[in-house]
Order: sequence, then structure tokens, then C-alpha cells
Amino acid sequence: MDFSITEEQELLLASVRDVMERACPESYMKECNEKGEYPQALVDALTEAGLTTLGVPEEFGGTPVDTQTLMLVAEEITKLGGPHFVFGQALSIADMLEFGNDVQRRQCMDEVLAGRVGFVLGFTEPQAGSDSSAIATTFTRRDGKVYLSGHKTFMSNALRARYMLCLARNADGASDEKKTNAFSMWWMPMDATGVTIEPLKKIGWHMMDTCEVYLDEVEVDEADLVGVEGNGFMQAMINFEVERLLMASSLLGMAECAFGDALDHAATRKQFGKPIGSFQLIQQKITSMAIKIENMRNLVARTAWKIDNGMPVQTDSALAKLYCAQSANEVIDDALQIFGGIGYTTDCRVSRLWVDARVQRIGGGTDEVMIHIAGRQILKEHTK
Amino acid sequence: MTIVVAYKWAANPQDAQVGADGAVDLSRAKPGVSEYDPVAIETGRRLADATGAELVGLSVGGPQVGTSMARKAALSRGLDRLVVVADEALDGARAATTAAVLAAQVREIGDVDLVLTGDGSVDEGAHLVPAVLAGHLGWPLLVDVTAVERAADGGLRVTRSVGAGTQVLEVDGPAVLSVAADAVVPRVPGMKDILGAGKKPVAEATVGQVAVSEPAVVGRKRPALAQRKGRLLTGADTAAVAAELVAALRADGVL
Repeated sequence: MDFSITEEQELLLASVRDVMERACPESYMKECNEKGEYPQALVDALTEAGLTTLGVPEEFGGTPVDTQTLMLVAEEITKLGGPHFVFGQALSIADMLEFGNDVQRRQCMDEVLAGRVGFVLGFTEPQAGSDSSAIATTFTRRDGKVYLSGHKTFMSNALRARYMLCLARNADGASDEKKTNAFSMWWMPMDATGVTIEPLKKIGWHMMDTCEVYLDEVEVDEADLVGVEGNGFMQAMINFEVERLLMASSLLGMAECAFGDALDHAATRKQFGKPIGSFQLIQQKITSMAIKIENMRNLVARTAWKIDNGMPVQTDSALAKLYCAQSANEVIDDALQIFGGIGYTTDCRVSRLWVDARVQRIGGGTDEVMIHIAGRQILKEHTK
Repeated sequence: MTIVVAYKWAANPQDAQVGADGAVDLSRAKPGVSEYDPVAIETGRRLADATGAELVGLSVGGPQVGTSMARKAALSRGLDRLVVVADEALDGARAATTAAVLAAQVREIGDVDLVLTGDGSVDEGAHLVPAVLAGHLGWPLLVDVTAVERAADGGLRVTRSVGAGTQVLEVDGPAVLSVAADAVVPRVPGMKDILGAGKKPVAEATVGQVAVSEPAVVGRKRPALAQRKGRLLTGADTAAVAAELVAALRADGVL
């Protein structure tokens, strides 16, 4: 069993550290977080170094790498205090590169290559969170055009993105016999008439906007259909497992970031005449945090290895996402506890990690959905 | 046109451990292309792109200089090819020996128009290699170089940082340029650069006969830490305290 990384991966991580040192000082993160600004300078620096197109096929201007490498980079960025959402474009745009036509793919890649967001993923609706099949947004055909109507919620980057990949059901209901065959994907400009965007106020994730998006008879063309009509739901599912693993890897990095800060604090903060790290209750926390981080790393690495070797990871990616989301929150909470009062102030980045990590137990598949996916699969494999 | 960039494979200062007494321990630091040398490589890359020149990396040192990791790390920064002299005899070599071996290799490469070096290595920081190298080659040396471009007559126009200003010189013929640490911001190697680095040519050279009289270091001493005055200015009237601070700084010649 070889746990070492390749020379190329080691050099790539050195480049990531270089970019992060130049473009992501904690003062910049703090400023963006307080002002609610997207860290564009960091994204530009990552783009210039070719990191935002890592994993994107060469024909679209990217550099193909294996899953393990993608996970290492995601982990390194958050480990160094960067936000998770600045990396992983290769996975988020995979739907478009797989199913989009030439025009759609070019428009999407133009955005990514310019350091912008490829598109808003228009799936979630108020009544369709974990249950994507409850999506109620419709498309209807009239006079040679297609009209989209509905209400999307928790739309990341809706204020900045130029396009939405909108999942909608046929208003005529002709293909509603099977739920999964009812949906189609549409490529929709965000500045089209009939699109209304309202930002949500959140307790964390202040650097990235999350919005309600209302669609009122938004006109698109037949050419804006993405992939095959009626296959939208299945098209959306192709990448979920790798995306879940990417979230797990980013969470691992966030936990490591908080852990490193907590260790520094435990070694230097003195109470009762000695560093607090010399007290066994602090050591107990540090040991528990270290075990969780090691477990997270092993889960992520093994799942990535399985993906790279063509093995199914439906259970593994659900377990990794579930465990990393819960454990990262626990590690970061312990780090905040080690910091004490100062950890609860915005001067301390652990406080930012604390609020930013919490939503990862909800977004990208809730803890409960991960248990549902993994639990039934584990039982199925046991009883077959 | 052939441009050579002489670089060092040295300990990364970011991994250094600094003891309570101020002693710097680099023994556990990972090696890398020495801190300022990527600036020289980037300067060379830009000049090579503008002139169609070939950019050759040259490094001499112990066996670690010739490792696959060391080669890829240097080549991923924009060099076209590499010449390395990796020999036990050069492990820990100091300026006189290093410069003599570099000079021999520059001659071996042949038809070299320009040798670029970094501002200084991060471990020893003696700033001697460019001067000794230029001496061996019999070429002019320009230090604190902030820019280099091709002049209208085909020579080179070199900008140096001089005190608070700059000096522009025209260089006709081969020269050694020591590039200022802040001359350019070096590129960050991307995955394409890193993958491509493993496919670029590397020539391994031998030390050969180098007869150098290397001065022996017989002692080292750190500068004494300055004693702080530890003077505390207090008072309810902040304007008066500020005025007192300014007066104290003036009295000490700081302002």
C-alpha cells in the first residue's frame, strides 16, 4: 500500500501554496468575508496558474488530472484558509461539457477561462431540496419558442453568473409517467427578461452570494436544450459522487486549517503559567481532532483511488461526505473551544470556518440523504 | 542566442525552524529552487521569448541537484533544457568552487551570450558566485538588474537598480547579470508546465578538473541582538503622549 504522492502532485501542491501565499492572505479573506465580496483576485490568480481548469479535458483548454490530484488541490486550498468554492470547476461544469452543444460549451468555458463562474446550477426549489424529483419549474412551447417559469432557491453565484443550467419539467406533462424522465435541462442567460434575483441572508458563506431566482415566462430557444429532452434528471446525476468527494476533501482541508491554528494557539497561549497545550484536557481534544483528520484523509484518498481505478463509489462517496462534514464541524468546534473567547471573534479565522463548515452538512446532499444512500446500499450488498 | 540561468537547489527558508536564541535550523527544510532564482529564470524566459533564444538551466551541487524532483522543479519554471553537475564532491560546495564549476560548464555549453543568476542564495547568502563566475569567464558583471531587453543594435539594454534610482546600460557581448530579487514576479508552474518538465532534455555533466583555492571559514558569529529601551509612554492626554513620542523619536534620530 503506497500512501506517497507523485513528484508531479508534490510540485503542483507547491504551486498551490505559492498562489495562496500571494493571493490569499488571511487579511484578504477577512476583508472579503466582512464585505460579502467574492474573492475575485484569488480566483484570478488560480486561473492564471491554470488551477481552475485542472481536470477539464484538454480540448476545452484544461489539463486532465486524476481524481486523487483534484482532491489534493481542493484540500490544500482550504487548508491554507481559502474558501472551498474557488476550486472544482471541472466537476461543476462536467454536465455542460458532457451534454452541451458546441455553442453552450464554448460559452461555459469562456466564463471559466476568464475566472468567472460557468453557470448557476438551477436544481433546488423551495419544495425540492433533497427530493429533486419534486421540481416544479416548467417549460412550455409556444410559437416556436420555449418559456421557463418557476422558483429556484439557494442558487449559488446567481448575482454573478451569466448563465443558469435550469432543470425544468414539461408543462404539458406528456413525459411525466416516470418522474426521472420528466425533466429537461435548459441553458438560460441570467440577464434574460423574466429573471428576478433576490439574495438570501445567511449566517456564513459571506464571500459567495446565494439567491432566490424567480423565472417568469423566460424565453429561450429550442437550441438552448442541453442534452436529450426528458433526460435532465439522469444527466444531472452523472457527477454527484465525485462532487460529494470534492466537498469531503474541502472539508478535510478546513479541519486541517482549524487544527493548525489550534495547535499554534495551544503551544503559545499561557494560562496558570504554562502553555494550555500542556493540559491534558486540551491534549485530549487535539488527539481526537488528529484521529478524525486522519480518518477523513483516508476516506477521501481511498474513494479517489477507487474512482481512478474505475470502481463503483456510490457508498464510499456518501460515507466520505457524511463523515467529513460531521467530523470537520466537530474538529473546527474543538478548535474554537481551544481558542476560547478570542475564537468567537471575527479576528480569529476559526470563527469563519465554524459558520462556513456548518452548511456542508446540508448542501450537496444532507447528512440524512448520505445515510439513506449508504445505508440501503450497504444492506443491499450484504443481503445479495 | 543562448541564455544560461545558474540556479541553486537549496533549502526552503519557509521550512526553517528558528530557535529561541535566534539560530536558524534548515536541517529539516525541504529543498527547492532557491528563493530568488525563479526571478532570474522568469527574466530569462521573457528575454528568450522576445529574442528567440534558448534558455538553459545550469546547476551544480551534491547528488540531490540531479534528482528527478530537482530537475522537474527547475524545468517547470520555464527552462528549455538543463545541465546539471551532481557530485558528492560538490555537496556543500562554497562560492569559489561553485563558480569555477559553473564557469567550466558555461564554456562547455558553448556560444553562451548571457548568464543570469539570482540575487543570492537563501542558505549562505554570500552574494559571491556571480562575481567569481564573471571573473572566471572574463565577462562583465552587472548586479541588481531589474530588466533586460534587446537593444536596437542587437546588443542588450540592461536596467539596474542604483540607490533610489535606476541606471540603464548597453551591453555588447557576453555578460553575467545578477537579477534583483524583485525584478519580476515569477510565474507559478501549472500542471501543464509540471508534466512537460519531465519530458525536457537534461544533460548530466561531471565536475572534471577544478583546482580552486577555497578560503576556509574558521568562525561564524551572529550579530548581537539590539537591546530595546522598553520605554513606555503613558498619560490620559493622548495628544500630549503622541507629542512626547514624536519628540523621543526625534531625539533618537529616527525621525
